Amino acid sequence: MKKISKKTLNSSFWRWWYGNLTCFSHEHMQTWGYMWSMLPIIQELYATKEEQQEKLRTYYPFFNTEPQIGCIVVGITAGLEEARANGAEGIDDEMINGIRAGLMGPLAGIGDSLIVGTYIPILLGIAVGFAEGGSVLGPLFYIVVWNLTSIIFQKFVYDKGYELGGSAVELIVGEQATAFRESVVVLGQVVVGAMAASWVNITTPIQIATNSEGEPVLLQGNLDGAFPKILTMLFVLFAWWLMAKKNITPIKVLFLFVIIGFLGSVAGILG
Amino acid sequence: MTWLQAILIGLMSATAASTIACLGTTVGNYTLNRPLVASLFVGLIMGDVQGCIQIGIPMQVMWIALVTPGGTVASDLRAVSYIGIPLAYVGAKAAGWDFSGTEAQGLASSISAMTGVIGITLFYGTAMMNLIWQHIGWARLDKGDFSIIGKVDVLFPLISHFVLSFLPCTLLCYYGSTAVADLFAVLDVSVWYVKALITVGAVLPAVGIAILLKSVVTKTADLLYFMLGFALAASMHLTLIAATVVGGVFALVNYQLTMSKSSGGAAVANDEEDI
Repeated sequence: MKKISKKTLNSSFWRWWYGNLTCFSHEHMQTWGYMWSMLPIIQELYATKEEQQEKLRTYYPFFNTEPQIGCIVVGITAGLEEARANGAEGIDDEMINGIRAGLMGPLAGIGDSLIVGTYIPILLGIAVGFAEGGSVLGPLFYIVVWNLTSIIFQKFVYDKGYELGGSAVELIVGEQATAFRESVVVLGQVVVGAMAASWVNITTPIQIATNSEGEPVLLQGNLDGAFPKILTMLFVLFAWWLMAKKNITPIKVLFLFVIIGFLGSVAGILG
Repeated sequence: MTWLQAILIGLMSATAASTIACLGTTVGNYTLNRPLVASLFVGLIMGDVQGCIQIGIPMQVMWIALVTPGGTVASDLRAVSYIGIPLAYVGAKAAGWDFSGTEAQGLASSISAMTGVIGITLFYGTAMMNLIWQHIGWARLDKGDFSIIGKVDVLFPLISHFVLSFLPCTLLCYYGSTAVADLFAVLDVSVWYVKALITVGAVLPAVGIAILLKSVVTKTADLLYFMLGFALAASMHLTLIAATVVGGVFALVNYQLTMSKSSGGAAVANDEEDI
């Protein structure tokens, strides 16, 4: 009975943690990071050079996902590789690559929306609050909390993947996981709204009338009376609509807003 | 800015080069690449931590979420963090502005957007150059040379970083800072085009927030949660942490509803089987 040693598993984990995207190209995004991570496992499980070369070939195909939650896939294949070396039935190149290809998309979706789209912005948002006035507390808070929690999480899912092997798949695409993901995204939606209101401030200097005392009545005041900072919210929603519904790239929207801001200021509508 | 300062900033940019950072994903991309974190390091190099962090805040807000699905980037923050922050700092200092004032913050946002575009060029350049190393790697791998894998994955890309992070960032910081300082020393804030630049800086963060919004909203109805969060902060003046708690309540309710709906459905099915 072959077993991957603790040391080799650790080495495989840290190699993936560090090298998952260091040699990114659009042809083979995380493929080289994946091979580098599997190499110590394959070298330990198989004795001859020919066998090692053949097994490594399993990991030649393209791979790309959100690499941090993607630790679980590397863990799963470590578990499967161990089972294959022990002669388990039905574990071949096709099966391993089926799992890899099948999990890439769902994991990228989970990682992008939960880690990159929700967790990191919330941490950064709190850190920006701490950094007010130029305090080092802000950046230090983010550096410590993000790295600590992220590394612990990645090690945990790698080990979980190795432990469960192929049955870890249910953990990721199962009903409970989906409900959890969708619920955390709700939290994200609320927080993004709060961020927009706290950090963005778009105003108009337009004067709509003069009151009985001869003071100017500003449109901004009337708008805020109806819904505070509504102009800011409309700008955010407009940018979202262009990107999400019209499929315009963020960079083009950015340029459009540069023009809107510039012309709006010159025309005396914005600023 | 001295050569030493420019070189140190150039080195930092290579460690933090977006998803391909030479210090990896967690430490490189998601820590050192973030403008808020970068402002601390740029501050240490420039000798004014407090000022640089104040300049870094609006730049961070603008790029609060940067999701790179399938390797298509909206921006590579290495340029925002390690070209934008030092130049905006030098400019605001030369103009004699308060670093947390409207002018400095507006300028920082505008520079943040412009340098973001430089970053995209550097990102695609680095990814393209990595193709060379990968092709060398495949050829050697066919001959059974396992030691090439580590070299291709972590060693050779350092050359890409030298050419496409270190050199451009160092040179732009060194030569750019003098130009920016000269320009801003004589800048008059009341001129229309400076006012316009500052207005642009106020409008642009809306795009940054919208990028983030797009990553969490799938159905148009989800926008109501966004508006709820907006009203919590704008009308009820809740802080971000307080709004997170309220959002957490909605998340919990949503989770329990979804789970009870699915287990309820299963129970009904079982009952029918019993009959």
